[in-house]
Amino acid sequence: MREITYCDALNEALRQCMQEDDRVVVLGEDIGCYGGIFQVTKGLLDEFGPDRIVDTPIAEAGFVGACVGAALTGMRPVAEIMFIDFTTVCMDMIVNQMAKMHYMFGGKGRVPMVLRTNIGAGRGTAAQHSQSFHSFFAHMPGLVVAAPATPYDAKGLLTEAIKNDNPVIFVEHKRLYISKGPVPEESYTIPFGKAEIKREGRDVTIVATHALVGSALEAAEQASKEGIEAEVIDPRTLSPLDKDTILNSVQKTGRLLVADEDNKTYGFAAEISAIVAEEAIYYLKAPIIRNASPDTPVPFSPPLEKAYMFGKEALMESIRRLMAYA
Amino acid sequence: MAVEVVIPMLGVTVENGKIVEWLKTEGDPVEKGESLFIVEADKVTTEVESPATGILAKILLPEGEEVPVLTVVGLITEPGEAIPDAYLPPGASGGVPSKGSKATETGEQVDFAEDAPATQTALSGPVRIVPAARKLAQDRGLDLHSLLPSGPENVITYDDVVKADAPSDDAVPQRISTLARRQAEAHGVSTDAIKGTGVRGRIMRSDVTAAADTVRLERKVSRSAAEVDATFGSVIPMDSMRQTIARRLAGSAFTAPHVAFYTDVHMDPLLQYRKSILNAFEKHYDLRPSINDFLIKAVALTIREFPLLNGMLKDDGIHVLPNINVGLAVAIPNGLVVPAITDADQCGLKGIVQQRSDLVGRALKGQLSMDEMERGTFTISSLAQFDITFFTSILNPPQSGILSVGKTRDELYLVDGEVKVRHVATMGLAVDHRIIDGAMAAGFVQGLKEKLETPAFTFMHT
Repeated sequence: MREITYCDALNEALRQCMQEDDRVVVLGEDIGCYGGIFQVTKGLLDEFGPDRIVDTPIAEAGFVGACVGAALTGMRPVAEIMFIDFTTVCMDMIVNQMAKMHYMFGGKGRVPMVLRTNIGAGRGTAAQHSQSFHSFFAHMPGLVVAAPATPYDAKGLLTEAIKNDNPVIFVEHKRLYISKGPVPEESYTIPFGKAEIKREGRDVTIVATHALVGSALEAAEQASKEGIEAEVIDPRTLSPLDKDTILNSVQKTGRLLVADEDNKTYGFAAEISAIVAEEAIYYLKAPIIRNASPDTPVPFSPPLEKAYMFGKEALMESIRRLMAYA
Repeated sequence: MAVEVVIPMLGVTVENGKIVEWLKTEGDPVEKGESLFIVEADKVTTEVESPATGILAKILLPEGEEVPVLTVVGLITEPGEAIPDAYLPPGASGGVPSKGSKATETGEQVDFAEDAPATQTALSGPVRIVPAARKLAQDRGLDLHSLLPSGPENVITYDDVVKADAPSDDAVPQRISTLARRQAEAHGVSTDAIKGTGVRGRIMRSDVTAAADTVRLERKVSRSAAEVDATFGSVIPMDSMRQTIARRLAGSAFTAPHVAFYTDVHMDPLLQYRKSILNAFEKHYDLRPSINDFLIKAVALTIREFPLLNGMLKDDGIHVLPNINVGLAVAIPNGLVVPAITDADQCGLKGIVQQRSDLVGRALKGQLSMDEMERGTFTISSLAQFDITFFTSILNPPQSGILSVGKTRDELYLVDGEVKVRHVATMGLAVDHRIIDGAMAAGFVQGLKEKLETPAFTFMHT
């Protein structure tokens, strides 16, 4: 199969959905002429024109609100927020409107919109452009939260997000935009709430998200050379969450490592750990380990940012700690 | 595809290793993870596991020959697979150092279990046990108090329960390497009481020699006249530890220009200080601090003020190491090892006493890991228990400082025309003059002296 980047896979999903359905429109800052800060929307203005690719003012609450309204009238809008950090200025639109209306209207109104944004440190973009607080949205009832880790998942999940009738927070990852992988040319969808076992193993379960899926696979390969077989699970959507795949794996391995880039305290890793502690405690052969970001702002200083981040080595260390409990 | 077997990287500064025993012979089928050979480097032996499942098609390195780590020593092929031509020339017996990434990764297969402290004491009181093990024990009706913990921090693991519940069968063969068995026979030591430190409790050669040494120590047998006579005129073979000591110390003495600085330390304040806290310390922590523990802490604090003493000279400059790990020279039967207390500057006195007593205890049993012996950044060598006033030391390479500590002696001195007696110890600092000059060394010695003579202030925060 041909290989394209995560960024191009997202671009292709948008293009194919727009070709297929006139109701799909995209709103965001610098998404038209400039093609989006990470070039996800490049070329779309030329193909679909300014009525469907709308360059908005710097007013997140305004255009996210416009998308909620458009969705209620039957459109399928896609909003792009440059960095997840900026969702804070439109939190009322997201939390009180986008997430609530379907429920409050007794199912009579629907908000089939997508809010695309991204997380991830490591690009020297400092504390206000590097955060990874995707857990925030998974905490909020009424929202789907998608978290693609590969180009294949990016295209399939975004197509599903646009076609799905529920409001979706679509969380991409900065470091992954340039990563390449096999992606079919035709349109396809990946259902929400279906985790993927990216690697099978009998000794340790690693539940990883976003860029850490790749780190977990690298660590698993190294562990394998030490005779440890790690199973790597990518939930792909944080909400709805495929609990069964995770619990079945922990029942098999008895050891859980959760790797997620959100801050450790109260984050996604905490939630997965709690689910396993509640529902599979009698299968645990070792304490659960969370590899997550420190509870600090993301530093701008390159050496500090490097210290803030973690990857394969940290996961390897955790795997060894888990395996000390025979 | 054929998989290369290499001598793994055995420690930060370990360059060479030799295979003391192949546990498999050419043509044997092997499972991934199964022990292939025993490698010896510096003073430690380690079992190395097979990186793949297949046939041990070729042994490229015979037993007893020392080669650099990561040297390819054997080849594992799939059944029926021919040995690639590259490995067939007879010249290959010298070992082909591999720089391929595959070899490097395989090289990281050191057995981590060896680093774990041997914790094998049954506990009374609340039982620490992982949930899966607790459930299994309950399902099988086992008394939790009867289980022996092997996990970190004395936790009972799942495997501990599985083992405890296994049908006890005396016929189960003891896990012991053939080399260890031979050694045990040679030393006349019973293997029943020996606790293995190898993979899954396998008894290794080092366990047997340690047991033999302990037996010898306990008996305190004075050698018979006949034995003494036999020593003269004989040739004593250099074992691996003696060879290591010889090589490293000769290298240090003839590479680093040594220069030494002595001072007399007034010991009464420290002796009184120790005495004043001893009872409370023992009561609270069940640990007994020795003078060496205070010395380790004071040295670490002084290194903080003179970071170059934590430095080592390499080709590209002076590497000032981030952690202050103070090594303590420990005499063991037939030689000397230097286990190091980690982060001694940050560690409280309780932690230092704990680390020191654990390390010295295991040093005497030959149970130190490679890392524990390699991680030191400075060394203390004390002969205070002997009648030695002061002495010179050779640097423990690649470190650049070593402190020698003589006995504490009585000394007369004058106070207002009256003769009094006090306790004094002479301490000497040897440094590598390539990177540390006299003024700095003198400053270090003086700083250490001040710290030891004002213990209440020095150990205030510890």
